[in-house]
Amino acid sequence: MSSAPRDAPGAGVLRAAFAVARKELGESFRDRQTLLYTFVLPLCMYPAMFWIMVQGVLVVQGQKQARDVTVGVVAAAETAELAVEQLALDEEGRGRIEVVALDPETPRDADTIAELIEREEADALLFLPADRSEDDPAALFFDSTSSQSETARGRVVSALEGWTEELRAEAAGARELDPEVLEPILIQTRKINPSKDDGALVLSLLLPILLVVMCVLGAFFPAVDLTAGEKERQTAETTLLLPIPRLGLHLGKIFAVCATSMIAATLNLLALGLSAGHLLGQLAGLGDGAPKVELPLGALISIAPLAALFAFFVSAVLTGVASLAASFKEGQALLGPVQMLFMLPAMATNLPGMELTATTAWIPVVNVSLAFRGLLVGSASAGPLLLCAFSLTVAALLAIWFSVRLLSSEEVSLSSETISMTRILRILRPR
Amino acid sequence: MTDPTNTSAIRAEGLAKTFHDPQRGVVEAVKGVDLDCHKGEIFGLLGPNGAGKTTTLRMLSTILAPTAGRALIDGVDVAEDPLEVRRRLGFLSGSTGLYPRLTGRETLRYFGRLHGLEGERLEAAIARAFDAFDLHAFGDGRCEALSTGQKQRVSIARAVLHDPPVLILDEPTTGLDIMASSDMIQFIESRREAGTCVLFSTHILSEAERLCDRIGIVYDGRMLAAGSLDELRAMTSKEWLEEIFRELVQRADAGEGAA
Repeated sequence: MSSAPRDAPGAGVLRAAFAVARKELGESFRDRQTLLYTFVLPLCMYPAMFWIMVQGVLVVQGQKQARDVTVGVVAAAETAELAVEQLALDEEGRGRIEVVALDPETPRDADTIAELIEREEADALLFLPADRSEDDPAALFFDSTSSQSETARGRVVSALEGWTEELRAEAAGARELDPEVLEPILIQTRKINPSKDDGALVLSLLLPILLVVMCVLGAFFPAVDLTAGEKERQTAETTLLLPIPRLGLHLGKIFAVCATSMIAATLNLLALGLSAGHLLGQLAGLGDGAPKVELPLGALISIAPLAALFAFFVSAVLTGVASLAASFKEGQALLGPVQMLFMLPAMATNLPGMELTATTAWIPVVNVSLAFRGLLVGSASAGPLLLCAFSLTVAALLAIWFSVRLLSSEEVSLSSETISMTRILRILRPR
Repeated sequence: MTDPTNTSAIRAEGLAKTFHDPQRGVVEAVKGVDLDCHKGEIFGLLGPNGAGKTTTLRMLSTILAPTAGRALIDGVDVAEDPLEVRRRLGFLSGSTGLYPRLTGRETLRYFGRLHGLEGERLEAAIARAFDAFDLHAFGDGRCEALSTGQKQRVSIARAVLHDPPVLILDEPTTGLDIMASSDMIQFIESRREAGTCVLFSTHILSEAERLCDRIGIVYDGRMLAAGSLDELRAMTSKEWLEEIFRELVQRADAGEGAA
């Protein structure tokens, strides 16, 4: 089958494209799925989900701390009494640590200990030898698969820290030594970066992936709706009769998909950036060392041109691929694997050591994600960013060519069945 | 350029269309159709399903590119200047093809703007269309919520909003109830009076008999005969259109068999 008649491109192409894009956008925003992914998710659902998640974590943490735990102490009577005193010090503002004195002769073998914990006589077992020799150190046994046992472990370790210090000082004093020498290499760690850099790091792990995912999700439904959906609604013929150049018509559709994609990505990034600061602050307890998350406006503005190029690339690819389907359902099925081709490389950029270099700047998807990360943490340099912009421009132009070529084909625009790979190759073959 | 002395509004010479069908291979849907329709004339393309009527109309309206042959709409070549052709014609099919999420008024405004109507001219044209096709009761509701007859009225208004000299209708009464079908027939007759060339396809013989100044019988991708009802009677020595149609089809089949 030959291609549809071609109109000479002229000044009217862009004007026509904008007219079509405006109409398609208006129609898209009357579509529930597009509205959901573009507006409802970022503005309502994400902040709500994050809030619920954070509140949930806070409640669970609070409940864990408020929980009473039972610790079995295997020690001679005198040592056991000391242990009870020390463990009682940890109870302020938390649940009770009930200490059960067990037979000092309890064997230290795994089966016996597991059986004791299984019988819920204790959530954790603390073995405290009387002479505290190196040959027979103190030991704490717990079940890592049990939340109760895990909580008991944490509480015991925290409670015995002070006692350990006291004993060390006592031992050093008895030998007339400075307690410090009993810990010959004392490493003190000091953070030199401001806590807002920690926040930027947290956002740099989230926002670049969100940018890619939301560009794809934002374009997904409009791309299917304006191509396969149009065939299903039997309006493709009407659209082909519009008195505008065909190039303008096809570009208009890509513009509309791209606009939705950009709106979805922008709203999501803003919503997440704004809610993350508040909610992560709550989660970290707002202590001095907690990451301080601020809306990274500078990085968002800096990434905008690259994000726009990426949105064009994504929109053109999805529009072209969706045009091969004959119905909305088939369009969704076709785009499923395609969206994974965008999302997986974006997720891979969270691997350690990945950064924007002269090499990674050439790889679409990976480059925009790494560029955004670089801008968020302040490590991006001009050279790779320019390469990234060039690469994305080339990718977007190629994708637009691919999409327009497919949409211009009679086989694609009017077909009542999904186009096979052989036919796609024939359509894309140079004329 | 259009020749003012030439009254031909649609002219086709040897128009052909070949498809590559994945199951059937190469399919010759239209095998060289000649056609000449004049201003103020209603020309009916009559033929069974699959005869090539829709493909012919789609080529004339620039939706499909002809594989061979030539076609002029109001003097403009469909292959050389398809954009100008689309400006000069109104196209309507039985499926209406309305954008479901737009209202009738928005549909008219969209098409009007793309046809170069702006501001007061556009609003005046929409108001005329609302009056002419009685769209006031439902024209501001979304098209997806309209009945088939209401959709068809919005669709007609869309097709003639820019007052095209040529109107192409592909089985326009398909799926319509008696009242809506009757409205459509009245509309087609009114366009003849307005000097518009109307080319429409149908497989309903009574419609063709009632409306058409001339009829073209299409079968297996070919135009078997074209002329007024009297001319077709003379060609076949048959009285009724149904008999004429059968006679021409039998002759065509016999000719193929002999060949």
